[in-house]
Amino acid sequence: MLALHGTGVGAGIAVGRARIINRTSDKITQYPIAQEHVQKEIERLEKGIETAQHSLFELGKQFGKEVPEEVRALLEAHSLMLKDPLILQESSRLISEQWINAEFALNQYGTRLERVFEQIQDPYLSSKSVDVAQVIQRVLGAMTDSQEAIGGQPEGTYDGEIIIVNDLTPADTIELRKHRIIGFVTKLGGPTSHTAILARSMKIPAIVGMHGSVGYLRTGDLLIIDGKRGVILASPDNRALAAYQRRREKIIRRTQALETLRDAESVSLDGQRIMLMSNVELPDEVSYSVKQNAEGVGLYRTEFMFMNREQMPDEEEQVEVYKQVLEKSDCPVTIRTLDLGADKQVDGGRSADNQSTNPALGLRGIRLCLHDLGLFKPQLRAIYRASIFGRARMMVPMISNVEELDQLFRLIDEVKQELAEQNYPFDSELQVGGMIEVPAAAIAADIFARKLDFLSIGTNDLIQYTLAIDRIDDEVNYLYDPIHPSILRLIKNVIDAGLDAGVPVSMCGEMAGDPAYTRILLALGLREFSMDPAGLLEIKQIIRRSDVSQLKLSLPKFMSATEPEKLRQQLVELNR
Amino acid sequence: MIEAEVPVVNKLGLHARAASKLVKLTAGFESSIKLIRKNQEVDAKSIMGILMLAATQGTQIRVITDGPDERDAMDAISEMFEQCFGEDE
Repeated sequence: MLALHGTGVGAGIAVGRARIINRTSDKITQYPIAQEHVQKEIERLEKGIETAQHSLFELGKQFGKEVPEEVRALLEAHSLMLKDPLILQESSRLISEQWINAEFALNQYGTRLERVFEQIQDPYLSSKSVDVAQVIQRVLGAMTDSQEAIGGQPEGTYDGEIIIVNDLTPADTIELRKHRIIGFVTKLGGPTSHTAILARSMKIPAIVGMHGSVGYLRTGDLLIIDGKRGVILASPDNRALAAYQRRREKIIRRTQALETLRDAESVSLDGQRIMLMSNVELPDEVSYSVKQNAEGVGLYRTEFMFMNREQMPDEEEQVEVYKQVLEKSDCPVTIRTLDLGADKQVDGGRSADNQSTNPALGLRGIRLCLHDLGLFKPQLRAIYRASIFGRARMMVPMISNVEELDQLFRLIDEVKQELAEQNYPFDSELQVGGMIEVPAAAIAADIFARKLDFLSIGTNDLIQYTLAIDRIDDEVNYLYDPIHPSILRLIKNVIDAGLDAGVPVSMCGEMAGDPAYTRILLALGLREFSMDPAGLLEIKQIIRRSDVSQLKLSLPKFMSATEPEKLRQQLVELNR
Repeated sequence: MIEAEVPVVNKLGLHARAASKLVKLTAGFESSIKLIRKNQEVDAKSIMGILMLAATQGTQIRVITDGPDERDAMDAISEMFEQCFGEDE
């Protein structure tokens, strides 16, 4: 038995056989060819490129009309690269100079190209080496007619298997939806990679960022993967297998038991109504949110539409997507304006000139938007234009300064006036709220509460900024503590400021979806939670078993505790 | 054969978006078209070649067109550079 660790994504446990999918280039062999066969090899290469172009075209067709924009842009970029005369010319030159087979020549040239791209100073252009690699892969796959290429496998080939792969491309993730895969393991990638997004949307566990240790896994190995803990057990012994099977069954039973709460009201024992909303990223996820009986979308992230593509979505495209999202739900949908920067870099070249050493404190969120009206104004117009298709609200991220709000409101007035002149209908009463995630805004929440229609606490950034720790830095993330007294005080301050101003306060950070903190948040007075819809029923269960007025009584003791150990102890007691 | 120097004036330089526009344009000409920056010479019909130039704002690029429609090609290319590839700045 072998235990390996990575970054866990998605809840749950999967038990199944491993299937390693090697990229074609891992097994390219070199063989010499006779000089008189040079021409034939070159023709084979031409044919391979043609087949690859065709397969790319077919892939595009499979999506039909519903090609996600980022996939479309990617397909187009790849198809331009396939048409690039350089690939054919340079590989042909290698074939005729070195008398080697076409696959090897292509692979050799591809590696060289990748290296050239990697050496480009500009980080954006340099990242194109990935696309180069993928395009070369596609041609190699077409030439070797590889059985192991991800694409083109009959539906159901990988049913019941755990897929192990270096990394998934957006195109792969679409192909893989055709199979009933039970889990993923990848060498590369983090919690926001395509693999992670795919795993979450397929509701299966994944372990990403395994690095070298994927090398220990073999096709056919029995694996246990635990998405919650980020653990893989390979060839487990009977005891481990039995234990995990029990845990897996327990999780399934619990999930089934929670299902019965789907239609139950989200009310505490003492009759307090608590609003449960969901965080979504893709229009599809709104349907899931509706299915979970969420009372709305507390956070619809719009970044996804802007990432992994060459060209920014224009106003029309955005209107279309927001309309889709709004029409899927009868409940309020909170559209958050672009929150790019820091860990979420945008393509289209915009990230290239932003090389701040401290991006989390740099030009991001509303700052970036107000700085780049060419990016922001079409989004505002699109949100207002789409507002008539459902119950939209708008929320701006990263506010730290009242002047930003004044600027925003002037811009909104401008947009409304323009839309009215152009005869576009829109909801002129659209609610505008702000994310409270910068300590400055949390401390002075009363000022912001007076200017906005609602507040939403973004705990991930609030905690990171307040405690001055980078969550993705392995060496300091042990300091990440949602119940640090400073955080509890800030949250309380925001909730109280909202109450005083008569403005609703919700929370959309990870803390809101973590069952360990539900009760302390209830005690602090939080009444609106927004989270990953997959965890919604569990939080509802806790709420239904909690007496809010009782919880409130224990709050003073909590707020005055000074020892972290004691605080943790109190939290355990609170959750009992 | 015609030669001309064109400056990259758009803010993002010859990024993927500009490069794909350029490739789509050059593909329509019969003439061979080369871009030269310092000692690096690339085929203007190759998107990867153009990207490898990594030409940022302010870079001077020498364009050489050679063939039956070399004049039209040069005019169209210079215009595209001047117009910042249709980008805002």
